[in-house]
Amino acid sequence: MTLLQATAISKRFGGLMALSEVDFTVAPGEFVAVIGPNGAGKSTFLNVLTGLTLPSAGNVQFDGRDITRAPTHGRIRAGLGRTFQHGRLFSRLSVLENVMTGAAIRTDRSESQLREASLGMLDRMGLADEAKRPIDSLSYGQRRMVELCRALACGPRVLLLDEPAAGLNSGEVELLMARLIALRAEHELAVVLIEHNMGMVMRLAERILVLNFGCRIAEGTPAKVQSDPAVLSAYLGEGYNNARD
Amino acid sequence: MRRYDSLIIAAAIVVLGGLLSLVLADYRLRLLNVSVISAIAVIGFNFAFGLAGLISLGHAAFVGLGAYTLAILTTALGWSPWLAIPVAILVTTVFAGMIGYPLLRLRGHYLALATLGLNVSFTIVVTNWITLTGGTNGISGIPELRLGGFAFNDERRFLWLGLVLLALCAAFAITLQRSRHGRAMMAVRDDETAARMTGIDVTRVKITALCLSAAFAALSGTLFAAHVRFVAPEDFNYAHSIIYLAMLIVGGEGAVAGAVIGAALLTFLPEWLRFLGDAYLAFFGLMLLAILVFLPTGLVGLTGRLRRLGWGAKVERTP
Ligand SMILES: Nc1ncnc2c1ncn2[C@@H]1O[C@H](COP(=O)(O)OP(=O)(O)OP(=O)(O)O)[C@@H](O)[C@H]1O
Ligand SMILES: [Mg+2]
Repeated sequence: MTLLQATAISKRFGGLMALSEVDFTVAPGEFVAVIGPNGAGKSTFLNVLTGLTLPSAGNVQFDGRDITRAPTHGRIRAGLGRTFQHGRLFSRLSVLENVMTGAAIRTDRSESQLREASLGMLDRMGLADEAKRPIDSLSYGQRRMVELCRALACGPRVLLLDEPAAGLNSGEVELLMARLIALRAEHELAVVLIEHNMGMVMRLAERILVLNFGCRIAEGTPAKVQSDPAVLSAYLGEGYNNARD
Repeated sequence: MRRYDSLIIAAAIVVLGGLLSLVLADYRLRLLNVSVISAIAVIGFNFAFGLAGLISLGHAAFVGLGAYTLAILTTALGWSPWLAIPVAILVTTVFAGMIGYPLLRLRGHYLALATLGLNVSFTIVVTNWITLTGGTNGISGIPELRLGGFAFNDERRFLWLGLVLLALCAAFAITLQRSRHGRAMMAVRDDETAARMTGIDVTRVKITALCLSAAFAALSGTLFAAHVRFVAPEDFNYAHSIIYLAMLIVGGEGAVAGAVIGAALLTFLPEWLRFLGDAYLAFFGLMLLAILVFLPTGLVGLTGRLRRLGWGAKVERTP
């Protein structure tokens, strides 16, 4: 059974094919990573899935419905969630209020229920003490965690994370991994992770999609992808060579 | 404490305004009425500009539409003003919703220019549709507001009515601002894309903000018409839109208290500074500039800044 399905997605920016006929599926509760060198089209792919850009060709289905042209807010209400590569919080709202905007997706919640649900989420992510603080007083790592809380507060069934570990120190990365693992154990939450941190990808992902110049060059289990010659030459090869140096 | 802010501000408006109504006289009372009427419009403007970030320069057109609707309904059709007020608010809100759909596709400077155009068009229409609006002669003979035997027909009595309405508007605006709807508006202004990604329907939030701002503007307009009992095109030209903007920026955008303080200050300032003569405009311009540069959150931002200083000191002490 698939929850999210993208079929033959292409996206053209002028003369540049940012995505060429990419197929992709996510099952409920699955953990999939999307990797690829800089400019491979990973963020563009998330933009197509969330409706920030419309694909030039192909279609996207979520929970059996065609959402290729659905507005972004509709997809979020249907059960998609996303964080951004470069962190996007509401700077005039406090930490708690940021998360409450996400929780407000449930219109049946009263103001105090919104507050409680959001505080609970912050608490689980170790941010309870920061609830009242303004965003500009947070560290970079804390901001990324607040953004994750905000996305989670929307109660997604598929969570799309665009390089959540970028800019975090190694301790924060460990914490992030532990929390993602805990979250998945509690809810049936599927995660699509875009990440350059290979250690994190190999430890968390059940399946990996590799993009290069907008094309799918490999897909499979971490073990299979790691030994795929196309991947080694396009992407991991450099990484491993660098690691060996 | 934050929970009771709306009650505190409403009480402050009624008590402070009530006291002033007893000690002030004549012309000052009239200015206070003008302040109260403007404050209602600026509270509305805060939804569009302060919260949702819609740079509108046509707010006076909404005030004017409310005022003219009341004037026409009460004079040409002989309606009771109490009936005409809600109808005027409804007409203006529906109008804002209708123009909102095409207008809010524009952003930033383009929206500013388009709303400025809307205001200029409004002035042209009311100046030239003489059979309906009386053209430059305006509409006179608007009936006074009365409750049973009590007529709000002098400055002091009208002020009491205005203060009660302003207090209700302020309390309502604060409650709304602190609700999910207010947060959604601020989210849209801070980052539209991130707002979409939290399930917010950005277009709907913007239109709601514009309609709310128009509804408050219309109430302000009907009070203006019932206070002066006369309306003319120049009372609602684009210069007034700019004054509403200045009031909100001076008081503090994003804050209801700021809207009220800014409206009162900019209404009384020309009086206090009358000795400056023609130099007043230069002073006014410089003051606006200084506030934009040094106090971007307006006068109410001063309190927040002081609070944050104390808070920052506490953070520094933790190891
Ligand atoms: N709005 C746009 N207009 C034109 N070109 C774009 C646009 N968005 C992305 N691109 C281009 O599409 C290609 C893919 O970009 P994308 O951001 O999806 O890569 P990425 O895989 O996320 O890279 P990174 O790892 O650096 O984040 C790049 O060449 C980029 O310059
Ligand atoms: Mg990217």
